[in-house]
Amino acid sequence: MNWKFGFSGMIAGALFCAATTSALAEDVVIKVWSRADRSGPLRAGNIVAAGDTLNKMLAAAGSDKRVKIELNETNAKGYDDDALDLLKAFAVDKGPDIFVLAHEWTGAFAEAGYALNLEDHITKNPELYGDIIVPLWQSVSYKGARYGVPQDSEVRMYFLNNDKLRKLGKTDKEIGAISARVDAGEFTAYDLCDLAGQAVAKGVTKFGILHRPNAGPDFQMMMEGFGNVPYDKAEAKLQASKAGMKDFFTWVKYCVDKKAFSSTNTAMSWDNIEQAAFAKEEALVFFHGVWRVTDQSKAWNLKGKEDYQKKITWINAPAGKKGGKPSNLSHPIAYAVSAKSKNKDLAAFLVGLASQPYVNTRHAVTTNHTPINYGQQAMPEVIEKGWALVAATPMLKYASFMPNSPKIGQYNSIVFKGIQGVETGRLSADAAATFVIDELGNELGKDVIIRN
Amino acid sequence: MPDHARAQARREWANFGLFLGPALLLLFVFFVAPIVIDLVLAFTDMGRTLAVGKFTFENFERMFTRDTRLLGALGVTFVFVLLTLGIFNVTFALMLALMTTAVPPRLGAFFRAVWLLPRMSPSVVYALLWLWVVDPNERGLLNQIVINVFDMPAIDLRNNHPLLLIILANGFIGASLGMLIFTSAIRSIPEHLFHAARVDGAGAFAIVRHITLPALRWPISYMTIHQSLSLLVSFEYILLITGGGPFYDTTVFSLYAYRRAFETGEYAYGAALSLILVVIGVVAALALWRLMDMKQLLQPPRIEVH
Repeated sequence: MNWKFGFSGMIAGALFCAATTSALAEDVVIKVWSRADRSGPLRAGNIVAAGDTLNKMLAAAGSDKRVKIELNETNAKGYDDDALDLLKAFAVDKGPDIFVLAHEWTGAFAEAGYALNLEDHITKNPELYGDIIVPLWQSVSYKGARYGVPQDSEVRMYFLNNDKLRKLGKTDKEIGAISARVDAGEFTAYDLCDLAGQAVAKGVTKFGILHRPNAGPDFQMMMEGFGNVPYDKAEAKLQASKAGMKDFFTWVKYCVDKKAFSSTNTAMSWDNIEQAAFAKEEALVFFHGVWRVTDQSKAWNLKGKEDYQKKITWINAPAGKKGGKPSNLSHPIAYAVSAKSKNKDLAAFLVGLASQPYVNTRHAVTTNHTPINYGQQAMPEVIEKGWALVAATPMLKYASFMPNSPKIGQYNSIVFKGIQGVETGRLSADAAATFVIDELGNELGKDVIIRN
Repeated sequence: MPDHARAQARREWANFGLFLGPALLLLFVFFVAPIVIDLVLAFTDMGRTLAVGKFTFENFERMFTRDTRLLGALGVTFVFVLLTLGIFNVTFALMLALMTTAVPPRLGAFFRAVWLLPRMSPSVVYALLWLWVVDPNERGLLNQIVINVFDMPAIDLRNNHPLLLIILANGFIGASLGMLIFTSAIRSIPEHLFHAARVDGAGAFAIVRHITLPALRWPISYMTIHQSLSLLVSFEYILLITGGGPFYDTTVFSLYAYRRAFETGEYAYGAALSLILVVIGVVAALALWRLMDMKQLLQPPRIEVH
């Protein structure tokens, strides 16, 4: 009988030990919110990777603590929608510990008290952040403090289809010179529409220029060529100029009349646009960013830089007038840490780990986004697989960021409506400029300065 | 109070709770509470962070003095409701009911089932089908017909006639409810009236005019009121098919309020706009009620016809 008791006692003891050990081993849950984005799945993936690294360190230190990353990938159709959803989640106390956001939303989250001021964390941990490309910090700064850590940057451009240009009678020499002529201010936005209109008129392509079908940062780059700078740094406010808007919409109307812009562009889905621009080659010009190189290379089976450059020419957004400066736009996506998180410090360190060269390079080279650390540019992987990034970097000379204003999303939507109005024949150039200026004043009130 | 009276009162309360309770609860949760919340929100400054900073009249001031899109949205709504209702939800529904009851019952049932199909499919599927039908390039169904059968150039309904498109899309799906109600009303007309009319030498049109239509007066009135209110607040298919565009061409008032609230995060302003919609709905309902003399419908019949 006794051995039986002894045996059961041993089992009970073992179970007790197991139970207490598992109770002692603590899982710290870190919630991550990220928009499921085909052009950057590793933004969220790198936080998971950072969690794994940290867990290995904890195991090596003999600690029972483990970090568990709970990922919430949302299906919002754009970063603006995602940010609105996230603000609602925070409002009902369902916010994450770490979130991925488009940099221009930094101000909104900082102002609402949801984004943690990371200034102290970044300054005290130079081993984690010391190599980050300095100008990128500007994109996540709000009122002098950093509230996020940029994860990538990119270069935006008009992609010109060389084969179609050849069909239009352009020689390789002429095609090769376009980019430099844009940068020198010789080839203007009007010239671009003339060229695209010609392609449509001659039946070389169905569309002249295809741009994004919804509101977004691309249009700021188009508008800058006409003297529209959306932010007044001195006053720290959004601004709009009546003359600038009029010049811009006069150009849009010109392009519509030339059939360079299509009346159906804003009614198309991204899939339709991708089909038309890539697989079917129905557009002479496609306007987006360098991360599209992956799709283009796949669609036309292009192997490497030389092959690609035979097929496609990149140009900055040309100036509106001869002699003007071209423009570009960099739009970093960033990590932010919740100011409401119970594990702020841990979350901040995870962000630091996810911003290290090895993991960030995985994101950069697989999706053609520019890396965030100076050192990454020398990594063999970046040099070999990221040829497009290296080739596009000189274009950043003309780049600006979107303003870090909480209302920039609304500003962009109004401008987009104006463009849609002109493209679909609902508004004249003057009416569109008046519409945008009026709507900006009505919707943003004191947050926008209207200039003549 | 004697015991039995108390017990009686208790039973009455229990019956009240048992029979009317669930309905009252639903009414409160889904109708009264949202209106009260909307009313309160409309007088706040609630923005994207859902925080209420102050109570204010600013939303109404903005609505009446600065909102340049408001009148346009009301105009689009008026045209949309009037035409969808007039052409499809009542007239076309009535024609469907008359035709499917005039043909042999099985055939009639088959056609009614066909007209009900869009109702049975999820809205997104229905909207996607429409998007394919009106696709502006030669792949769209409508353009395949226009180009191949009529030898005409491709048309772009979505850009050139967006209002017509949303009326058609809402009408084809909206006609089915009226069709069912009218069919059942026609079926409930005593058969002998038709026989008697035939004996008296009435033709098909005379029968419809003198027997069927008078019997449908109340269902028609009811459908008109019900469908106008329903169309006033519906924007599901519009959002899916045209997104309210191009520009603001198909932005009905309810979609406009939705956009303000959920796409730009101006929740308080969206609530204030919705409040206008509630007021319009109530006024329209009362006016139509009066106009159609619905009070009479709810009175007990003076004689029973068997």
